[in-house]
Amino acid sequence: MTIAVVEGWLEEPLRRFVEDARVQVALLLHPSGQVLGQHGFTRAVDVMSACALAAAIHASSAELGRQLDGRPFGVIHHAGRTRQVFLAPATTPRGPLVCLAVFDDATSLGLVQLYFTELRARLAAVRPAPAPAAAALPANFELELNRNLAVLFGRA
Amino acid sequence: MSAPTRSPFADALAALTRQRGVLGSMVVSESDGIVVDSNLQIGLHGSAVAALAASLYRKARLAAEAAGFGACGFFQLEAERGRVCAVGRNDLVLVAVAEPRANLGLIRVEMLKAVETLG
Repeated sequence: MTIAVVEGWLEEPLRRFVEDARVQVALLLHPSGQVLGQHGFTRAVDVMSACALAAAIHASSAELGRQLDGRPFGVIHHAGRTRQVFLAPATTPRGPLVCLAVFDDATSLGLVQLYFTELRARLAAVRPAPAPAAAALPANFELELNRNLAVLFGRA
Repeated sequence: MSAPTRSPFADALAALTRQRGVLGSMVVSESDGIVVDSNLQIGLHGSAVAALAASLYRKARLAAEAAGFGACGFFQLEAERGRVCAVGRNDLVLVAVAEPRANLGLIRVEMLKAVETLG
């Protein structure tokens, strides 16, 4: 199993989630679209696209939830013919994250939900080293994005 | 004002959970592992049991089919401090969680009767 993370404290929670929930693809990303960890991708360009789309879906559903329900919607699940997508937010000491998981009939939505609850608890409990202060969307967003992708795919 | 909607499984689940030693019963989607309806005692973590029991039942059913044994009938898991029983039909699984002292024969009869409500 190949788990790649930008920061080490994300590795163990993500590994446990992938092992337990049996998902094919897992992504941890900042709500802005910056990738923080991944499993199941082989190309940086795919990670970049998936992160951008996941961040956009998360932002859209959150805003839709605020307008309809007064607060952001949480989990999104979309069932395809053979594969399903699960998208949900988590909170860490470093701020909010979004988790995207893709799974097939080797597991089930109930199991993914169950193990995502555990992932969320682990992410909330970890104590990473303090992060350098940075805005959510800094001017060097693209530079940071490319740096993270390079770290994940061993080109840093 | 209209009366609150009752699930078609409510009576069967209530009858099952009334059995001595039964801690709860649920109708779960086999493919999703999501609870469709449940009747649980306080303290039972229904969604976790549902997801895991549906996954177990599904794998048992597939194993029975792969072995050429046909459809999976009654599924029972005996653990140190309790039992999980399951029986399925039409992508739905009826799951019962019971204490070790529970009368498994009665539970089995009640579950096989209740599975008829799954369609």
